[in-house]
Amino acid sequence: MNYSRIIIGAGFYGLYAALVCGGQGHKTLVLEADGAPFARATYINQARVHMGYHYPRSLSTAKKSRDYFDRFVEDYGFCVHSTFEKIYATSAAFSWTNTDQFMKFCADAAIPYEPVPAGRYFKPGMCDGAYLTTEYTYDAALLRDHLLEQIAKNPDIEIRCNAQVTAIERTGGAYTLTCAGGAAYSSDFVLNATYASVNQILAMLGEDPFPIKYELCEIILCQAGEELRNRGITVMDGPFFSVMPFGKTGLHSLTSVTFTPHLTNYAPLPGFGCQSHCGGSCTPQLLGNCDSCAARPETAWPYMSNLAKKYLRDELGFTYESSLFSVKPILKASEIDDSRPTVIRRHSSDPTFISVLSGKINTVYDLNEVLTDG
Amino acid sequence: MDKTGGILNKEKNFVSAVVYLRNDEQRAGDFLRALARVLSDNFLSFEIICVNDACTDGTIAAVKAAIGGDVVTSIVHMSHYQGPEAAMNAGIDLAIGDFVFEFESVSMDYDPGLIMEVYRKALTGYDIVSAAPKGRGKLSSRLFYLLFNRYARVQYALFGESFRVLSRRAINRVHAISKTIPYRKAVYASCGLKVGSIQYPKKGAARSKNAGAKRRELAVNSLILFTDLGFSLAKWLTAIMILMTLFFGGYTVAVYLSASPVPGWTTTMLLISAGFFGLFSILTVIIKYLSILTNLVFIQQKYIIEGIEKL
Repeated sequence: MNYSRIIIGAGFYGLYAALVCGGQGHKTLVLEADGAPFARATYINQARVHMGYHYPRSLSTAKKSRDYFDRFVEDYGFCVHSTFEKIYATSAAFSWTNTDQFMKFCADAAIPYEPVPAGRYFKPGMCDGAYLTTEYTYDAALLRDHLLEQIAKNPDIEIRCNAQVTAIERTGGAYTLTCAGGAAYSSDFVLNATYASVNQILAMLGEDPFPIKYELCEIILCQAGEELRNRGITVMDGPFFSVMPFGKTGLHSLTSVTFTPHLTNYAPLPGFGCQSHCGGSCTPQLLGNCDSCAARPETAWPYMSNLAKKYLRDELGFTYESSLFSVKPILKASEIDDSRPTVIRRHSSDPTFISVLSGKINTVYDLNEVLTDG
Repeated sequence: MDKTGGILNKEKNFVSAVVYLRNDEQRAGDFLRALARVLSDNFLSFEIICVNDACTDGTIAAVKAAIGGDVVTSIVHMSHYQGPEAAMNAGIDLAIGDFVFEFESVSMDYDPGLIMEVYRKALTGYDIVSAAPKGRGKLSSRLFYLLFNRYARVQYALFGESFRVLSRRAINRVHAISKTIPYRKAVYASCGLKVGSIQYPKKGAARSKNAGAKRRELAVNSLILFTDLGFSLAKWLTAIMILMTLFFGGYTVAVYLSASPVPGWTTTMLLISAGFFGLFSILTVIIKYLSILTNLVFIQQKYIIEGIEKL
């Protein structure tokens, strides 16, 4: 079957691209390996709408986040939780930044911050600075429902779930994508928006992989106590933690730099030890969904909660609810400055094959450029 | 002790073990294996933090070989050799446990079971419990503890220790008391919480003595910072000098009244006596000020780390 546009991956970037293409009148197909859209990275992350505070070592990433922040909140405000107190703090020990540097960074990036007493949130001596900031969290389920609603209104857009791409072939002026089960689709414009699977798709195409490392990550969802409920707290910049509202779910997400990644792989394709006992649903060539996998790791709750408890005043309590697992690709170049660039790579034109890799929700607008000029 | 690994019988408290490493490739591997075994037999969750104080031999390789993938381990690499105090402070800052073990040496001259004994004693209401070898230590360290315990303003007497366990409460308390911690043992002993110890008979292994130079420097600094030794010494010397000047003043007056000295001798002597009396009085005041200042501000002794590696 022939389409004007084929998008691999029904995460936020995939569905956003589908709406843009469909809006231009292109017959668009979205191929999703899982049973439903938004089953992996778009849902399984800290759900942060970045303003830039997170990148005190990369002013460029911070500025870009800030620029897109308002636009995202305007476009998708219905799924954004903005009425909580968001605290950033710099750890007294081991931090790559300190209170003076962090304030200078905020001023340079032109993002708002207001110093507050660290003792209001943290145990004595743990943090040397705390700031009230403007940062929000999005609700992936609400965002998904909104996008699906929009897509349903446009008969040119079609989403196929349970359609894992297993082979890609370039034949003449088009790419033909074969899915598990044998169905084949072709188009002269393909967008690879598969995030953690980006190199797996490129391998089918024989293209060079992105230089990434993979981390199998755990996001812990917890019930925040009374004092923490309307607050989000992130300790910077090093082996620390973040506990903040998880969209509008009423739960908080808990993550830590040290304990959120359970397994790390530096090879071009995501091979993990757990794949040998997952029952064949996941291989380095075709990544399964970690969250529904029987072989997913045991929770690191004792570690993450203890780390947070070490910093937070005892009044700011929380209890375990559940865990979410997914694989996160990290560009190797970003280790030193911890930047999170959005990388868009055009592998061919006529027929067109484009890959996008981004770890942030609000930089989705970077896609517009490649989608409009086709 | 539960050797079968039954989850129900294991301790629910999260413990961290901070291990100081300084060029000891012979013993580091065995020590970490023994430590990891004791902790995994007894605790549901724990972490090991190795502090690499700029080792130049194969210690770190030995540690990596000894630690299996299922033991959560971090290595703090110190940028350059900074001695056990700064290094251990770095390790403790990173530890997240409810209880934190401190091992300043990888020589295990005790039965591994002692680690749990020390921990259990802590559970009975001690915030800090240490394990101390029975018998006499080195002459230099005996002299140090003698002087320290005689003059220090701390709650508990200090003695040679192999390792200790601290409660999170004790760590928080110590952080709240002072920003920099030049000599941990002394701060622990004076932090106001309950401190206990267990004595054990030493087994064969010799204590490592590779941190010698820093140790001596630390001993002198600690005596100055935590004890009245310097101040008392200066105070007594000044008092003796004042007495001497007073005596000479009296002697001058007596000579003037009884004999007839050379003209000018009396005025010269009186001026000298009065001048020195004033000088020594001012010195006493200055020394008092200095001792107050050292009490207020400990010498800044922050550490510099190169990075933290998670295994």
